[in-house]
Amino acid sequence: MRSNRSLGTCIRTNSESDRRIVEEGISIKKVTARSSSKAFRIGAILIALLALTLIVASFLGSERLPLFDLNAQQQSIFYDIRLPRILLGGCVGASLAIAGAGLQSLLRNPLAEPYLLGVSNGAALGTMLAFVFFDRFEFSRPVMAFAGAGIASVAVYQMAKSRTGMNVERLVLSGVIVTTFLSSILVFLTTLLDMAKVRSFTFWLLGDLSQATRGGFYLSFAAVVVTTAILTWQARALNLMMIGEQDAFDFGVEVNRVRLLVFGAASLVVGAAVAASGSVGYVGLIVPHLVRMTVGTDNRLVVPFSAIAGAIFVVLADTIARTAIAPRELPVGAVTALIGAPMFIYLLRRG
Amino acid sequence: MDSAKTRLAILCASALLLLAVVGSSCRSNEIGSPKPVEMRQVTDDLGRTVMLPVKITRAVSLAPNLTENIFAVGAGDRLVGVTTFCNYPAEAKSIQKVGDTISPNLETIVAIKPDVVLVSTASQIEAFKNILEQNGIAVYVTNPDSIEGMLANLQQLGDLFGTRDKADELVSRLQQRISNVQKGVAGSDKPKVFIQIEKEPLFTVGKQSFITVVVEKAGSESVTSNIETPYPKLSKETASTLNPDAIILSVSDDNLEANEVFKNSPAVKKGRVFNVDVDLLSRPGPRLVDALEQIARDLHPDKFGER
Repeated sequence: MRSNRSLGTCIRTNSESDRRIVEEGISIKKVTARSSSKAFRIGAILIALLALTLIVASFLGSERLPLFDLNAQQQSIFYDIRLPRILLGGCVGASLAIAGAGLQSLLRNPLAEPYLLGVSNGAALGTMLAFVFFDRFEFSRPVMAFAGAGIASVAVYQMAKSRTGMNVERLVLSGVIVTTFLSSILVFLTTLLDMAKVRSFTFWLLGDLSQATRGGFYLSFAAVVVTTAILTWQARALNLMMIGEQDAFDFGVEVNRVRLLVFGAASLVVGAAVAASGSVGYVGLIVPHLVRMTVGTDNRLVVPFSAIAGAIFVVLADTIARTAIAPRELPVGAVTALIGAPMFIYLLRRG
Repeated sequence: MDSAKTRLAILCASALLLLAVVGSSCRSNEIGSPKPVEMRQVTDDLGRTVMLPVKITRAVSLAPNLTENIFAVGAGDRLVGVTTFCNYPAEAKSIQKVGDTISPNLETIVAIKPDVVLVSTASQIEAFKNILEQNGIAVYVTNPDSIEGMLANLQQLGDLFGTRDKADELVSRLQQRISNVQKGVAGSDKPKVFIQIEKEPLFTVGKQSFITVVVEKAGSESVTSNIETPYPKLSKETASTLNPDAIILSVSDDNLEANEVFKNSPAVKKGRVFNVDVDLLSRPGPRLVDALEQIARDLHPDKFGER
């Protein structure tokens, strides 16, 4: 029961209640230790669901493929188009979900999400610049996306920080401001450059997985593995950071190092995801919340489980995007928002 | 004799005086209140009744194809404002820019004081119609979206600008060229053609697009003509099963080669990937016939060998 506490209740600034939460924070560990068999069960169910989702998605597409004896063309459809897209979708979902989980814990804010914090738009602006100016270099997109995501997250963090420490309202405000500022730059560049390239970019900005390649998948997969490892490794420190930076510091957490690692890892993984698929919203917001509602707030579980659940969510959303109006396609970002927004309202009302 | 001379002189003088009075009264009339302009009532493509001067002297075009059409019917000298997209003919580039088709600058348009603003899309009309009409500027909507519509548009513009003869002459020349193409390709095999509008994400044209009609008129069969949307984003899985014999690229800087999914198609293997300038293919203006002829030559080199 206790481990089912939502992250929101951890956000208190009052020092007296902080003390109480610190004690509860310590008890979280005991609770999760006791319910580790439950966590194990949930993990197994999630992995089974992911496998099922991947299999179902592989069978669905705008073209019907036979189960066996695929001819050359059908093999090409499956291995060159459908499979890379499904796998990349899984990586993008995992990326956004773990970035959300990590940032929410680090910033002690349930609204911290790559898209709302301007991280996605930073990556999108970086990608756009790469798209327009350095198209000849193969890795310019992910590198510029990473740089953009990093700069945006540092900007938001610096704006939100005050003498009294991190404050929820300031953080959300800074995120909104950086997000809208970056989108205005994107719109400005789109209007100014008036190139066909920019027009295809605006469609891609809505979240589009149709440009999936094996190379893009490998890159995204590597970023997910590295980031999941970093965040899981820092999970204990993140658990303490959820209580309060000062408390975490008192417990011997190197706060600055954790901050740098989590921001860096989130920028890396969001950069890779945005460079591959544009801005897919709501994944980083609702997936970690759903996971916390099921397994509690311990980041040692929240981070890896969010990765799996995020992958399931985006693969399902993209399957809808690929098949709903076939042979035409929807942008996957529209589908995740269509599912994500009502789901988020439902979560809010449930408290 | 003397009195007769004097009388003649008086007559001449009074005649001159009369002329001067009439002349000056005419001038003062022009300077004072504007001479009432002869107006007429016309109906635009949306069925709206529009009051226009019989002789339009100042017009603004908010679409590149309308600009091309106005020049083609010989009324280009009366254009006083065009969009930033209007790059043809060369003279259009030196006309004052009033923004682009999607977001025209109303202040600039009002300051130019045109008789009429020609609009190709109905989507924005409610937003600026009132402001323009309050300033005595008529808004005329015309949106040709087929070859026939383009020919009719030329005649319509000929009527508006009083250059109907020139428009009719142009239309009959264009009709002649179109029927030459159709005679040329008649009876020949129709290659299966894929029209690629954008490489990534993969966009093509569907049933409702005039581009499909133009390409099919050039003696071919579009493999995406059964899709309902005019400009669909196409599933790559479906695209890779289409196996077109030829691919037509509407060339722009992100659409310079066939998408990867066509690498095993007969079109790519036989090198039958053809470029058409996007401005020719996507604007329903006289140059659409240039695109038609070019595609017909590309697809049927044997039939148009003499060219």
